[in-house]
Amino acid sequence: MTLVMRIAGACLVVLAAALPFIDKDGFGVTVGTIIALNMIGATSLHLIIRTGHVSLAHAGFMGIGGYVATLTLMRLGWPFPLNLLAGAIAPACLSLLIGPLLLRLQGKYFVLVTFMLGEILRLAFLQWSSLTGGANGIFGVPAPGPMFSSQAGFYWLALGSSLLCIAIVARMLTGNMGRIIDSVRDSERLAQCAGIPVLQVKVAAFVLATGLVGIQGGLTAHYLQYIDPGAFTSVQSLSFVVMNVIGGMRSLFGPIIGATFMTILPELLRGYVEMQHVIFGLILIAVMAAMPGGVVDAVNRARQFLSRRTRGGNLDSNLPRVVARQ
Amino acid sequence: MTIQRLCVTALVTALACFGAWPVLALEELKIGAIGPLSGGGTAWGLAINRGTQMAVDEVNAAGGLKVGDKTYKIQLVMVDDAYTATGGRTAADRLIKLEKIRFIIGPIGSPSVLGALSATDPSKTLVLSNGFAMNILKNESRAAYNFRTIDTTNEFAPAMIEWMHRKHPQVKKVGMLGTNDATGQAVLPMLTEIYKATGIDVWTDSFDRGSQEFVPLITRLMAQGVDLIDLNSNSPSDAGLIIKQARQAGYKGLIWQVGGPAVPEIMEIAGPLAEGFMSLEMFDFSSPIGEKFAEKYHAQWPGVINAQVPLWYNTTKILFEALRRAGSTDVEKVRDAVKATEGYDAGVIGPVVWGGQAKYGVNHQLLVPVWIAEVKGGKEIILEKITPEKR
Amino acid sequence: MFNAATIWQVVVNGASLSAIYVLVALGFTLLFGIMRVVNFAHGAFAMLGGYALYYFWGRFGVPYVIAVPLAAAFVALVALIAEGLVFRWFYQRMFESMIALLGLNLALVYSAVMIWDVSERSIPPAFSGLIEVGGLLLPKDRLMVICIAVVVLVSFWVFMTRTRQGLAMRATAQDLEIAETQGINTSVTYRIAFLIAIFMTALAGALYAQIYSLSPFMGDRPLMVAFVVVILGGMGSIPGAALGGVILGFTESFLATFYGASVSSFVSFGVVIALLIVRPWGLLGTPDGARA
Repeated sequence: MTLVMRIAGACLVVLAAALPFIDKDGFGVTVGTIIALNMIGATSLHLIIRTGHVSLAHAGFMGIGGYVATLTLMRLGWPFPLNLLAGAIAPACLSLLIGPLLLRLQGKYFVLVTFMLGEILRLAFLQWSSLTGGANGIFGVPAPGPMFSSQAGFYWLALGSSLLCIAIVARMLTGNMGRIIDSVRDSERLAQCAGIPVLQVKVAAFVLATGLVGIQGGLTAHYLQYIDPGAFTSVQSLSFVVMNVIGGMRSLFGPIIGATFMTILPELLRGYVEMQHVIFGLILIAVMAAMPGGVVDAVNRARQFLSRRTRGGNLDSNLPRVVARQ
Repeated sequence: MTIQRLCVTALVTALACFGAWPVLALEELKIGAIGPLSGGGTAWGLAINRGTQMAVDEVNAAGGLKVGDKTYKIQLVMVDDAYTATGGRTAADRLIKLEKIRFIIGPIGSPSVLGALSATDPSKTLVLSNGFAMNILKNESRAAYNFRTIDTTNEFAPAMIEWMHRKHPQVKKVGMLGTNDATGQAVLPMLTEIYKATGIDVWTDSFDRGSQEFVPLITRLMAQGVDLIDLNSNSPSDAGLIIKQARQAGYKGLIWQVGGPAVPEIMEIAGPLAEGFMSLEMFDFSSPIGEKFAEKYHAQWPGVINAQVPLWYNTTKILFEALRRAGSTDVEKVRDAVKATEGYDAGVIGPVVWGGQAKYGVNHQLLVPVWIAEVKGGKEIILEKITPEKR
Repeated sequence: MFNAATIWQVVVNGASLSAIYVLVALGFTLLFGIMRVVNFAHGAFAMLGGYALYYFWGRFGVPYVIAVPLAAAFVALVALIAEGLVFRWFYQRMFESMIALLGLNLALVYSAVMIWDVSERSIPPAFSGLIEVGGLLLPKDRLMVICIAVVVLVSFWVFMTRTRQGLAMRATAQDLEIAETQGINTSVTYRIAFLIAIFMTALAGALYAQIYSLSPFMGDRPLMVAFVVVILGGMGSIPGAALGGVILGFTESFLATFYGASVSSFVSFGVVIALLIVRPWGLLGTPDGARA
């Protein structure tokens, strides 16, 4: 990351933190909270995607985290940050158990299996009423401590958690670990020959990712003060995937942009009461057709195009630069 | 030439403004509505939208709503909640914060209502909603600004089941197929309790809403030897299909629905196989009032009228009456006025009766009279009117 | 409960369910097999088939035997617009196709909501009444679906294995470049495959809408069913879709009748997951480097 990007990033974070002051009592803080929460899911899924697998069960793991966080708080009396931690560990444990089994599968089969897994988890939430309250869910989840019970307070909690998750994922994707992950995705056979424990790397990413999205589940329960299976459906999982695909699956900026875009767009379209879903669908088609690599990819290509223009003709002098960037 | 054109434009504009003056002089009062406008629940969302819009149009056509010494033009802002808790919360936040609205009609469906309450309660926004979960009204602090304006199973089932037992004492066992969601899981235990208390044996099973294929379940149900099928709170589509497939499977007993209601849709889906089907009805479409209402509805929208439309119309009229009586848009005053609307008749459902103290600890449940209808000779006829007990 | 009469009824129900499921899955697996496209708009095209039949048979009174294929053909032709505008950009690109077609599905379904309103309609039955054989009951319309499913399957199999076009399609599915060097016009082949796939989808949708009910959202369940059947049988395999449909139909009939709907769902999903882990390419699919 260049210095310019670092400064820009820092400015954005400061701006985001200042949102409650800029937009007093405004809807902006609500949207910001939802964006922050969605970013946790999108960026954690991104970690899995970078190892070459797309999971459609992500919302199911989010649900496990949410229910565990709620139950440890309300039934076992665990104090606030501890229940979130439990909500992170529980889905991670499950993925530690089944990850080695599922991650052996090639890309498209992994998608299908996780789709079914997501459905089974949703059914479990629905049927296990004694634990989860069934379809009616658990009501009256208390606010996460006095500090975070106001609108702005909770927003900062969500923002902070989101930034923490992004930082963790970023750490995994840069440096040596990042190179290992990229090599696993690009060519498994080659990576294996080079001595990389491919399956273990994938499982590690999977476990970490599901743990992180469990935090989103717990936070959502605190936010709505209510938890029900309707929030953890394949529609939600698909939503996380769409955020990644639209933003760009090859860069961490992808899910960040994608989460923002997918959360804001429906709000912008609300004016068109009847047409909003049609327009949303058409936008999805257009974005996929025009920017198959996502927004990040389109931006990168635009930059390459521009820099080639300004530097003048000689492709070779740009070649090392292009390779290094990727 | 240009100066002439300019003068004409100026004159016309001035006249237009002058002509529009009375309308411009009216201040706008926004009320919000939340409901599912996507996914399987869209029919109910549209019912909220249209029922409320009819009341809004009516009051605006009459010159606006007189609240205290001001007259307001009412504007309805409706937001989709996708029938989920997050959707309800986001919709409520949007209405309260962005549109600065203090009065909301809807949502429908317990998850959405519970999600919305986490926003409406702290901000003291008045909500007239419909969710079947007991705990929506039960907790006193939650109910402070929330009223339920449509009967739930708790309200209409006891009287209906007592009627069934009286009219058809031969019924010894009832079979119920319910949905695997918030409504179904809330309603089935309630109904089971009431049937058992009346001395009727109960068998139940659940399915995923929108399954459409019920033949295996019906085969299973028929093997239990039931003489009555209760479609409880199933959607019109599921209910219609269960009836159709049950009759095709050779089921000869009684079928009715303590819930819904959706008689016209069911007749549409099951066709002649709906003969003899009995149901809860929340509105007598065959009465003169009903026919007038249907006429007004069909002036704007085609197709079958969802039975909840008049109920939401009624709800909105109650809100308007409360605003009128309170003489101000202060939420506390309007809320108290809502509680005091006992006896007010909006002209469609009958006089307002607030109840629910015994069951919920607070009188925020509107007790709406209901009817029992039957499909006879391809037409829906009303059998009896039932008034829920004020408990 | 486990008496002979119920068991026979379960078998009969299973057959009719299987027929519906097979029909619904065929178009889906064809599009994936040949063009590697995950058609998330599958349900929407089925729904359009339903509305087409509603108009041709229900409103215009076209004789039933003509109305059904006519409705399917009409939708397939109209769908060519979608092919040119949307599908064409995403052939051989699985993930992008998933999302773009998700978008197409949204656009089609909610356009239908605006055009036709949400409330359920029914398509007038072509054959009403029941056939009773020795105490077993089978509604005539479901029997008809079984017959149509068999006819469609057989004719499709004949087309794929015995005609030149079918051969061209299979070659294109196996290897696009080699097929082109052999002189096969792949874009025409794709278009024909698309037409056939949507024709079958719309046909399935029309029959589905007639048996159940018609509404803009009716396509959700056919999509889910197609997904599960095709996963089970193998993505891209026609015999796989047939086998998957039969297995799913009978399993559902048996489990739901004797153990209830939730057990049925759990077990079906569980079995499919287990199968996918052990044999990810489905029962009759072709493994192409599935395991790591």
